[in-house]
Amino acid sequence: MATINMVLCGLGGQGILFMTRVLAQAALDKGFDIMGAETHGMAQRGGSVVSHLRLGEGFGSLVRTYSAHFLFALEESEAYRNLSFLAPESRLYVNTDARPFPREEVKAYLEKKNVLHRAFPAGRMAQDMGAPMSSNLALLGFFSAFGEGPISQDDLRGTIEKISPVRFRDKNLVIFDAGLERGLKERDG
Amino acid sequence: MKKEILLGNGAIALGLLEAGCQVVTSYPGTPSSEILPEVVRFVKSDNLNTYAEWSSNEKVALDNAFAAAITGKRVACCMKQVGLNVAADSLMSAAYMGTIGGFVIISCDDPGPHSSQTEQDTRFMARLAKVPVLDPATPQEAREMVGVAMDLSEKFRIPVILRPAIRVCHARQSIRFDTLKDNDKKSAFEKDPLRWAATPRFRLILHRELNKKLEEIGKRFERLSPYNFHNLQPGRTYPLGIIAGGVPSAVIRDMLAEEGLAEDIPLLKMGAPFPFPEGLAGEFLSACEKVLVVEETDTLIEYLLRDRNKVMGRLSGHVPAEGELVPQVTHKILNRVFKELHLRPLRQDEDLEVTELVKGLELPVRKPTLCPGCPHRAAFFAIRKTRPKAIFTSDIGCYTLGLNLGVVDTCLDMGAAITMASGFYHAFEQDKVEQPIVATIGDSTFFHSGTAGLLNAVYNGARFILVVLDNLTTAMTGMQPTPALGIRADGSEGKAVSLERLIAGCGVDYIEVVDPYDIETTTQALKKAADYVNEPEGGLAVIIARHPCLIAYRDEAIPDKKVVMVTDDCVECNFCIERFECPALYHDQELGRTNINRMICSNCGVCIQICPKGAIVEREQ
Repeated sequence: MATINMVLCGLGGQGILFMTRVLAQAALDKGFDIMGAETHGMAQRGGSVVSHLRLGEGFGSLVRTYSAHFLFALEESEAYRNLSFLAPESRLYVNTDARPFPREEVKAYLEKKNVLHRAFPAGRMAQDMGAPMSSNLALLGFFSAFGEGPISQDDLRGTIEKISPVRFRDKNLVIFDAGLERGLKERDG
Repeated sequence: MKKEILLGNGAIALGLLEAGCQVVTSYPGTPSSEILPEVVRFVKSDNLNTYAEWSSNEKVALDNAFAAAITGKRVACCMKQVGLNVAADSLMSAAYMGTIGGFVIISCDDPGPHSSQTEQDTRFMARLAKVPVLDPATPQEAREMVGVAMDLSEKFRIPVILRPAIRVCHARQSIRFDTLKDNDKKSAFEKDPLRWAATPRFRLILHRELNKKLEEIGKRFERLSPYNFHNLQPGRTYPLGIIAGGVPSAVIRDMLAEEGLAEDIPLLKMGAPFPFPEGLAGEFLSACEKVLVVEETDTLIEYLLRDRNKVMGRLSGHVPAEGELVPQVTHKILNRVFKELHLRPLRQDEDLEVTELVKGLELPVRKPTLCPGCPHRAAFFAIRKTRPKAIFTSDIGCYTLGLNLGVVDTCLDMGAAITMASGFYHAFEQDKVEQPIVATIGDSTFFHSGTAGLLNAVYNGARFILVVLDNLTTAMTGMQPTPALGIRADGSEGKAVSLERLIAGCGVDYIEVVDPYDIETTTQALKKAADYVNEPEGGLAVIIARHPCLIAYRDEAIPDKKVVMVTDDCVECNFCIERFECPALYHDQELGRTNINRMICSNCGVCIQICPKGAIVEREQ
């Protein structure tokens, strides 16, 4: 089977690494080989953070431009900054309050590339639920509603339950579920 | 059998313990920092006896490891590539002296650079020291290579370097492994002063011995499959072949496989490039009309290939001479070479449209910045306020980001805040110019290499203010303990070393400790220190600005949390945003004044003290 490439982006402190761990662990438990790459050190302090995840065969840890099947962005500008990773026919999931999304200039490009994009205010939802740093889980829940890619809703939920630190576990699941519900609503129109 | 997703540094730790490594020493530095904590994690989970130590710097780490190695134990020391510069003195000598037990030096490179002052290539350091070097492409390969390195080191009695690049160290890969077992080899030191304390006359003999070892190892590297291998088919010739090592070899293997070119464009993977396998390279060269060399970060393989007519790479301008070879860059290199040689180009999916599109969006520039609530920011604010005309020498750590506040003018290497301050002092003093100088250095960096510079400055009469930014941790690299904490690498209790006493021991007579969160007190302390520096009887003044890092001490760093707000007294002068540069402060277009981003505000309340109009206040509960 061909390798599935994912890129996750956002700002330092938004939980990109945890989000990547959830996806990676869930895929591992499904029997996938995993390769990925993440940002540490100086670059982590408040700057743009990009994490790469590859499911299946492959030696390299980085996703090449124009070859990501999924791009997850925890911040709208970071989604735009990383547009070049998107492969034709790929999927873009974005945390944003902005309506409309995407910006007009970007819309034409996404249409041309047949990129399906879904935006949702994951950050606002997480904040309203008293966990402003958990937009990552809300966006994962939202994504899981659409049944895209090899990792199911149950896989993701189970993984969050398994790998969350105990003191955050319940809150993490509640936020994931809220994102999921929102996604299901959007899916069913 | 377990299967886990390990960080490359975790895979290296696993490989070390699988190889029976009994002693591991390290000084943290991106991208090497997680190796030692991962060693500790495995040691605890599998109840092993391996000794793990955070050493005070890389030279100290290497010396400690070397001693253990010559007792016959299997030993490793880990550092980042510029750390190996600090340890270079030990390395060069250890290469001559050799080892008894397996001795592996892990030096992690940072092409990019992402978190380093240079992009230097550790493989050249191995060449300089005349020790073998292995260059893994993936975490799994790094894990295997550690064992290869350990065996090689023990067999030939020579230190061996493993040089994983950042995309190995900070890659994550699923890895299968079994429960680990202890190596119960006991220490034995056989005295042999002609070797372990060799004088120059005997060094010549050791050098000859070293050269012989390299010759033998070179023969072994000719057939070190799967780390040195090519996929030439017998009798076939090719218009182009590629030689690649380390991370670029992984990227190129993926790319050739995706394009269905794996058979038509042969690859010589060079995972063990020094001592150079001349025979293997010769075979490859004679089967290919042209050979493209893709290696990080410099030109080791390219230099060692003698045929300049066939070889394309950095020297011929086909490979960028600086920066990381990320897949899109490698893709571009291959495509350019394929076109030049009239080979079928790779699928043309590069799209300049999107590059232009993104450029046109004018996205916010995000530069790294100190965290909201960072005590360094408060200290920097006070320094700039009291000594605006000073030269600000600084150092390596989070606080290099004091650049954003205009309070960092220099950052040369570990410890240079102090040595450059004394250098500046004497240069100006020679001209009878009173140039104020304020040096800033972190606590861990001071322990690493501050003392030699400080006692030199005191001894030679340099006068400046040294502010030790003491956040009680090694923050930038992931919160490793410093010698001041009395916590050792495995979490056990050690003897805490007092920063104040250490500084006093360097001959400093003026030492004051302040909490930088208290801007007024810090300002007064700086003024007093400046007076002392200028007094006829004065000298070098040290201020220790001590406040715990918010990441390391999440629950204790701000005992008195203050929910702040901005009142209508704000006149939009932007002083706070420009001078204090806290990411939680922003200009609110709608309100027409500064506002607080509650998502990221740490409630430290320091900004209340800095607004010239008193418009930032604590909110009434």
